[in-house]
Amino acid sequence: MNDIFTLTLISGVLVAAASGLVGSFLILRRMALMSDALSHVALPGIALGVVLHFAPIWGGLVFLFFGVTLIWLVENKTKLATESVTGVMFVTALAIGALMIPEQDLLEAFFGSITKLTVLQIGVQALVAAAIIAFILIYKKRLTLFAIAPDLSASLKTSSFKMQFILLALIALTITIGISFVGVLLMSAIVIIPAAAARNMAKSFNGFLAVAVALAILSLISGLLIGEAYGANPGIMTVLVSAGLFVLSLFWRI
Amino acid sequence: MDSSPLLEVKDLTVTFDGRSVVNDVSFTLKPQEVLAVIGPNGSGKSTLLKTLVGINKKYSGSIAFAPGAKIGYLPQRFHVDFYLPMTVREFLDLKPEHKYSLEEVLRLVEIPGNWLDENLATFSSGQLQKILLAFAIIDQPQVLLFDEPTENVDVVSQESIYDLLHELQDKTGVAMVIISHDLNVVYRYAQTVLCLNEKMLCYGPPIEALTNETLSHLYGDHAFFHHHHFGDHHREEGHEHHHE
Repeated sequence: MNDIFTLTLISGVLVAAASGLVGSFLILRRMALMSDALSHVALPGIALGVVLHFAPIWGGLVFLFFGVTLIWLVENKTKLATESVTGVMFVTALAIGALMIPEQDLLEAFFGSITKLTVLQIGVQALVAAAIIAFILIYKKRLTLFAIAPDLSASLKTSSFKMQFILLALIALTITIGISFVGVLLMSAIVIIPAAAARNMAKSFNGFLAVAVALAILSLISGLLIGEAYGANPGIMTVLVSAGLFVLSLFWRI
Repeated sequence: MDSSPLLEVKDLTVTFDGRSVVNDVSFTLKPQEVLAVIGPNGSGKSTLLKTLVGINKKYSGSIAFAPGAKIGYLPQRFHVDFYLPMTVREFLDLKPEHKYSLEEVLRLVEIPGNWLDENLATFSSGQLQKILLAFAIIDQPQVLLFDEPTENVDVVSQESIYDLLHELQDKTGVAMVIISHDLNVVYRYAQTVLCLNEKMLCYGPPIEALTNETLSHLYGDHAFFHHHHFGDHHREEGHEHHHE
């Protein structure tokens, strides 16, 4: 096991933990498919990075923020249904991105690739993940109340407008740091599936968050290790592990 | 005791899509006062309450709470996802400020202490309403804003929540704005009534304000003079209320 793979695993633990937490709030807010759809919006940005030779993650980040801001404005300023706008946006982004990316790089963008990660990128991913985790833990109560009862949250003078943007920004950041592990098509493997499985299993809220984090870490690390051992794509392995855990969660209430 | 108003509303108008839903509403709420806002469905009652609470921010006119006054809010709906993994304790902990201990607040709303570590999803809608009431009063607000549920709460639970509010008012002196479509609520619990059907049709002590003329104006002639219609109308919305 080389040093860079070890660093990738460490960063993977943090990224998975952040994803499990963000996914938990998305599930409560019934925005589960948002992360899946949004991750596609990163593709044109990633394509620009590949074509113009800069780290694709930055291109992805810019496009994601463009995407969440657009969704947020549509939700708040127009009468258009968010779902349909998101739908239009994500297939368009997918098509444009796929058109721009050279064919040999396309699979990596779709399903993730950790082979081209630099130490700097791994470090940035770990730091951003740690920041997301810290933010969620600090504002846990407010985020939770907003997610389960927006009216009660607003009655406590918390701006729903602001909270929704914060949640969308957390999704964008999480996708940005998760894409290199699982790719744009498989992001929900570490964001939604662990949180959905945790909801099946947990009785308390803290238990729900803890189980979501644990399952996300277990899925991603298993995926990376299996990928490394058998030369398989780690993103695909991660999805298979997390899907397996989801099936188990249907029978195992803790 | 200081009798300057806790809440003063002047010329409040709320407009949605160019149609005014609440028109020129003015009233004051004094400490310990119970104000019932009544009107048929779609009369703007819930909109009025949501505007007072701060959920709806688009309005004209003024809403002034006394400086430092805290409000507690009981929403009309609280749909708990059956799979929401959260205990009563965790839910009550989401309120930023606690002035009562969890045990004290449960006693006030007459919830057994062993509910604390039960999952929210296991309770009936009537029980959930008590839990919501505990959430609303745990920081000892001066004003309680209560939006009566229009679905899924049976008569017994509904009666008991009003009795509970009444007792709470006796014990703590909290002022209340209660939204209801039920005239019984007004006569039994409120000192002041405000009739709303997009605009204010009456305001004052129930005996003076609720004249037959006002009521027929408020609910429409046929609804008021033929109680069967009144009942049918409500059952259509999923009610089991009985109007004598």
